[in-house]
Amino acid sequence: MSGSPRITRRPLSLGAAARELSGPELGGVVLFAGRVRGERRGPGRVVALEYEVHSAPALRVLRDLDRAARQRFGVERTVLWHRVGRVPAGAISVIVGAAGGHRAPAFAAARFLIDELKRTVPIWKTERARSARRPRRRPRPRIARATG
Amino acid sequence: MVRPVRVLLFATARTAVGRAELDWPVPGQGISARALADELARAYPRLRPTLRTSRLVRNGRPIDRTSVRIRPGDEFAVHPPYGGG
Repeated sequence: MSGSPRITRRPLSLGAAARELSGPELGGVVLFAGRVRGERRGPGRVVALEYEVHSAPALRVLRDLDRAARQRFGVERTVLWHRVGRVPAGAISVIVGAAGGHRAPAFAAARFLIDELKRTVPIWKTERARSARRPRRRPRPRIARATG
Repeated sequence: MVRPVRVLLFATARTAVGRAELDWPVPGQGISARALADELARAYPRLRPTLRTSRLVRNGRPIDRTSVRIRPGDEFAVHPPYGGG
């Protein structure tokens, strides 16, 4: 049993992902969240990433990955969620997770899911940066002193 | 009337062409994926470098051979290298 992979424009919740992976028989639970880094870019900083997706094939590949992870590693539940559209710096853009009886397959499955997601799912990102430079002040007009 | 191919362009491919979608006329019997990519590259020379590194996708499925025929009404997508996560 596993939740459906999701592609959404809404914020992602680690708490909701943890609930998807809960169950008394699930002794090993691994969750990974990827966040947008507000890295420096020249004089400015990344304020957001804009994610675009080719939805139908992306969902199909996510479902294939979900199935492959459960078959290959024997985990019982997985989470495979990606946010698209504008994602601000500091916000979560992706969550993957896996839960099974023991930690080793859960770690291996989660690693497989994030690596394959980045390699095979048609999603692209573009940085949105904002300059940290303050706008230049206009020089004060010189006032000629009256002489004489 | 022959329906065109709906061409979908993402990321650097969209930037090179300046549009996310194109309706591209093809002959009734279709055209190979390679020939269609060549026509796009001739019409939009800035797309050429992106096409060299992109996957070509027909109706949501990656094309493994460029001889695959693209027929009127098909969706043909240009997928530059992916960058999710």
